[in-house]
Amino acid sequence: MKKHLGTVALIVVFLAVFIPFASSSPDGLGRVVKTFGDAELAPFWNGLMSDYAIAAIGDPYVSTLLAGVFGTFMVLLATFLLGKVMAPKNPEVLDKQ
Amino acid sequence: MHIPDGLITNNPAVAVLMWIVSLAFLVWSWKKAKATYSRSITALLAISSAFVFAAQMINFPVAFGTSGHLVGGTFLAVLLGPYAAMLSMTIVLLMQAFFFADGGLLAFGMNAFNMAIIGGLSFFLIKLFTRNSTGSRRFISSVFVASWLSVMVGALLAALEVGPAFAGGIMVTVPSMLFYHAIIGLGEGAITAVLISSIQRMQPAIIGGLTLLKEKTKL
Repeated sequence: MKKHLGTVALIVVFLAVFIPFASSSPDGLGRVVKTFGDAELAPFWNGLMSDYAIAAIGDPYVSTLLAGVFGTFMVLLATFLLGKVMAPKNPEVLDKQ
Repeated sequence: MHIPDGLITNNPAVAVLMWIVSLAFLVWSWKKAKATYSRSITALLAISSAFVFAAQMINFPVAFGTSGHLVGGTFLAVLLGPYAAMLSMTIVLLMQAFFFADGGLLAFGMNAFNMAIIGGLSFFLIKLFTRNSTGSRRFISSVFVASWLSVMVGALLAALEVGPAFAGGIMVTVPSMLFYHAIIGLGEGAITAVLISSIQRMQPAIIGGLTLLKEKTKL
């Protein structure tokens, strides 16, 4: 368990270190839209934290980091529950590694 | 290559179709996953999925004022096997769409297919390339090629799906998407190959997908 918590902490450190270096250029699809596309229609859902930023937090680094940490933990929780539901309790099926 | 709803609202039939196709694949992978995995996969499943979410936030610059980021479908497929990888990647995409509006909701079926399903299926490509001989240089090269191809196939599908939103149609979107993603895919291949070979060296026991790779994986 301790080892797992350490790995999760490493993911948060990874975000904290690399977010400032993340490129703000459009991605492949974004570039194609910018070059060849007409105006993109407005989306009908803007998410709770559009563009990985928390609107209430002014500092862009802190805002993106907190959004990223939040998302990381949501994925962690959801996939942990998936594993619990998906895999049988008694490890017989594929534990003969 | 997360497709926003703004690019496909003039094309809802295809979006609905891709929802159905993706759901069919998810039901299949769910059934296979239930029959395949044991509880011991849970920690690896959760941590690797969380890492993929975090890694997707870090865009790296590629040429021509364009950036890319790890998709991670092949990475998850090697670690978790194809079935859990499809489910895990779908959850990552779902969180991105719901909380961060990264990828649309109507377009979710497209994005799930282009990244989660294709990513999971790339497992079988690696299996084909390696011909069951893991732990070799051939395995890591296969991981590289499969990662690159998974990005290219995803980009091709995305280009076909968003084509109707462009004046030039797919004649414009397909070549331009393939051009940029041929470069972005090199990043995907390199990052995935480095991650997998490091994990293989440091924690050889945890590569669950490898166990599946060694066994006869039945479709």
